[in-house]
Amino acid sequence: MGATGYHPATGAIGAEGRYWDALIEGHLELPRCRGCGTWHWPAVWRCGTCGSWDHGWIECPLVGSVFSYTRTHHHFAGTEGLPSPFVSVLVLLSEAPIRLIGVLEGDEHDLRIGASVTGRIDRTRFGEASIPALRWSLTR
Amino acid sequence: MIDPKGLTAVAGIGYRQYKRGTAPLPERGVLVQVIVDACDDAGFDPALIDGFVSYGDDKNEPVRLMPDLGMKQLNWSAQVWGGGGGGVAGAFGLASAAILTGQAKAVIVFRALTEGNSGRLSAAVMAHHLNDHMVAAGTVAPAQICAMRAQRLFEHHGVPQSVCEELVRASYHHGKRNPDAVAYGRDFDLEAARTARWIAEPFRLFDCSRENDGAGAMLVVSSELARDLRKIPVKLLSVAQGAQKGWGDLLENDDDDLYPTAGFGAIRERLYAQAGLTPADIDVVQLYENFSAQGVASLIDHGFCTYENVADVVRFENLIANGGKLPVNTSGGNFAHGFVHGIGCAVEAVRVLRGESANPVPGAQTCLLAGGPGSPTISSAIFGLN
Repeated sequence: MGATGYHPATGAIGAEGRYWDALIEGHLELPRCRGCGTWHWPAVWRCGTCGSWDHGWIECPLVGSVFSYTRTHHHFAGTEGLPSPFVSVLVLLSEAPIRLIGVLEGDEHDLRIGASVTGRIDRTRFGEASIPALRWSLTR
Repeated sequence: MIDPKGLTAVAGIGYRQYKRGTAPLPERGVLVQVIVDACDDAGFDPALIDGFVSYGDDKNEPVRLMPDLGMKQLNWSAQVWGGGGGGVAGAFGLASAAILTGQAKAVIVFRALTEGNSGRLSAAVMAHHLNDHMVAAGTVAPAQICAMRAQRLFEHHGVPQSVCEELVRASYHHGKRNPDAVAYGRDFDLEAARTARWIAEPFRLFDCSRENDGAGAMLVVSSELARDLRKIPVKLLSVAQGAQKGWGDLLENDDDDLYPTAGFGAIRERLYAQAGLTPADIDVVQLYENFSAQGVASLIDHGFCTYENVADVVRFENLIANGGKLPVNTSGGNFAHGFVHGIGCAVEAVRVLRGESANPVPGAQTCLLAGGPGSPTISSAIFGLN
């Protein structure tokens, strides 16, 4: 696992190569240990619970609830590709015990911790790069 | 195994601070100045320094300091891992470990930072942690990550946001009375703070620490040697660094109960046990606050209050040196004194115990130094006179 065609715009890629490739293919996949069933995020090479090196990548729907959020007003370098202000949301997925971070789009009126959200895959511009990104919307 | 309590001490301090981007010398020059200041303070020959410790990705490799200091021998150089200020207190543990195991005799703990050499601190800290996951969500600064954790602390765990204002006010109260502080002589305008521009909700401008150019250095030696030097030895009673399972650089997947904390639950018991003290025994706190909510979370982590009674403890009147039961950040702290990656908090821990603080705490015997909150690897220390 981990072999990928994805070239990160920042930092080094870890064990999560398949995550990026799957986003580029249009869906969300997350790693789960084939030895003991533990979900790992961030992705790991070795399961610290059972010692297995074998992980399967499981497709998960982009459905969850808001774990926390912030609305950014300051023009931090690196956020030029996003509107101002914009809301970042940390979403607890419904079908895996994993939180993913993304940008909220659409109506922000009922934004609160625990609110239901659904997601889609988009791109965030960062300098010359275009990074696969999650966009979340509050569920009506 | 050695019981390290009180066996090593800070014998000398040096600290110089400037407005961001205005240091009169490049970074290493300012650093050499504060090291010599610390040695002058102690009455100690800089040539006899034989070790260095830093933290937070400091760029000044100790060996390069040797010519300016006239050193003949470098016996120890080390740094606590991490891009943030989590390692500031742990640095004293590394210095103490070297001395107690006979590997060095006189160790300088330092941090130096000038924008002209190292750029903006916030950018450097984030560069340490940045990845495509964070950038894709627009979360590129420490303020935003800490803001999300603060939001959870307030909205889900029920900590009243008003306590942050109490901490900020106490910091500026102390800063106003400290001639070395950026807030010196200035009245804190509460209404202006309440309506200041948003940075990342729930943080407005005054919830955020500053950035300054400058450097701090502290000479650590055995308590035995410190007794022969010029100033009252300020002993290291305990120090702990680390993290616990479910915490630290996990793409915001920290355990539910740890997420809104500052991470110090991992070391709290070790810290107090080593010193043989409890939170009730701490006379004054130097609290590294990058952001207001993280400062409050740190006080909770260190056992000074709980989610339930935080508003009873984190009150302006209770946090000030003149009459408060829990004086916090007697120099003004990172908010109102100035911010050279938290080394000023460590310097003030020594000053307040020596009775040299601009906001003295009469009779203070113990001071807790809480390192950078929310860092993946955190650390704290307790200093004392006995």
